[in-house]
Amino acid sequence: MIEIKNVYKSFKKLHVLNGVTTTVKEGERIVIIGPSGCGKSTLLRCMNLLEEPTYGEVWLDGKTVTPIDPYLYPELIKLSKTFAKLTKSGMSEEEALDKICEERLLKHGEGSAFAKMKKQLYQDNYLNINLARRNMGMVFQNVNLFNNMTVMQNLTCAPVSLGIKTKEEANEIALRLLDRIGLLDKKDEYPSKLSGGQRQRIAIIRSLCMEPKYMLFDEPTSALDPEMVGEVLALMKDLASEGMTMVIVTHEMGFAREVATRVMFLDKGKIAEEGTPDEVFSHPKNERLKEFLSKVL
Amino acid sequence: MNKWEIFWRQFYELGGYENFLTGLKNTAYIAVFGLLIGMVLGCLFATFKLLPGKGFFRRFLSIFTDVYVTLFRGTPMLVQLLLIHFVVFPVMGIDISPVLEAIIAFGLNSGAYVSEIMRGGILSVDVGQTEAGRALGLSYGATMVKIVLPQAIKNVIPTLGNEFITLLKETSVVSLIAVMDITKSFQTIGQRTLEVIVPYLMLAVVYLVIIMVVTGLVKLLERRLRASDRN
Repeated sequence: MIEIKNVYKSFKKLHVLNGVTTTVKEGERIVIIGPSGCGKSTLLRCMNLLEEPTYGEVWLDGKTVTPIDPYLYPELIKLSKTFAKLTKSGMSEEEALDKICEERLLKHGEGSAFAKMKKQLYQDNYLNINLARRNMGMVFQNVNLFNNMTVMQNLTCAPVSLGIKTKEEANEIALRLLDRIGLLDKKDEYPSKLSGGQRQRIAIIRSLCMEPKYMLFDEPTSALDPEMVGEVLALMKDLASEGMTMVIVTHEMGFAREVATRVMFLDKGKIAEEGTPDEVFSHPKNERLKEFLSKVL
Repeated sequence: MNKWEIFWRQFYELGGYENFLTGLKNTAYIAVFGLLIGMVLGCLFATFKLLPGKGFFRRFLSIFTDVYVTLFRGTPMLVQLLLIHFVVFPVMGIDISPVLEAIIAFGLNSGAYVSEIMRGGILSVDVGQTEAGRALGLSYGATMVKIVLPQAIKNVIPTLGNEFITLLKETSVVSLIAVMDITKSFQTIGQRTLEVIVPYLMLAVVYLVIIMVVTGLVKLLERRLRASDRN
């Protein structure tokens, strides 16, 4: 289970995510749609911490991969000096909590009780991101196969050097997956000799070689020639039918409707609407979503 | 006897070539090991400069690198060599052969230059390569060593070749700390015969030939490493 807890992300002055909370359960296939610049990719990249959230936490299977965000813990805020000061000045506890969260009033040095509990929370729940990422495969818009390695090296590099698989095991898995996508004959080629669709399919199975529980797709077909989109989508559908948990950012609405168990519409860094594909595509409620669908469908 | 005969007699019959062979060996040692040390240091320093995050340790490494690069690029090679030979090592009580001293001096010096070359090389590798490595669960260090640096080095081979050539020619100053190198060996012949035209002409030719060979090797290496690129 991936839990996104009130995630904010800003790049300097630009606020990309403005408080996203959602949960990805095992077996779910979530498709994130939305106009460009709405934070789709950023949300996806926050899930495996390629972007670090400014506020909020990301949890994977009951462990947090982000630092503790004190604003998510009222009992922690109550230990802070700022809270003590506000309640002393006559505010009720509720008001003080709201004000602190609203205006992000916590600073460095909120007293030892606060620091101790925060540290305790962190120690109890922390999961190293490198370990977390082993369970989360990621596929990028611009593929990012390792240019200095052959296809086989691309597939076996991570599992072998992380010590998860022996060289023989990794080779076996890689060959089996290559066979499955029909590119066994390309195993010793360098990525530059392959077509865009072939590269993207190999990038997908590169993630699969780690045997992840979750797969994140960041617009996997957006940079491909139209005639290559089909083969990549077919592989993704194949994965979906096997029950892989997937989070997909895409502009392929037909694909979204077919594969998704839940569609999430993001607008201005927030989840504006979510539901089953039927609810979102056939009976949209949000005005912005209606406008968006009228343009893309 | 004409000038050429004087030179040849001194070089061949009176054993000048022995100095030359020693000199050739020393020059090669200093240039090659100097560059190797420089590359290791350069890769390290370049990585220091490009570490993600902004913790205290990271900032310390970055400032350390800046100071290092400023010092070693801001003073002449010869001055660094003299300092190491006459000041640093004697004060520290280290007594090693001048050749080793020269290797260290050239390694430290070239580390400063290579760090900037490597930094450019690392930046020239698409950030997506790093992201893909990290997303698979590899650590920053492992991503750097297995994915980014091999590509960065390939991109900077021509510039590194240039650096090696500069380094090789600059080794001609080591005679000042009593190392027998190519320059010194021909100088010795000139001093013995009091006839300098031919020895110095020959010296220039020897350097030229070595540099041409090196240039050829760099080109060969470049072509080998480009095997993974599109045709």
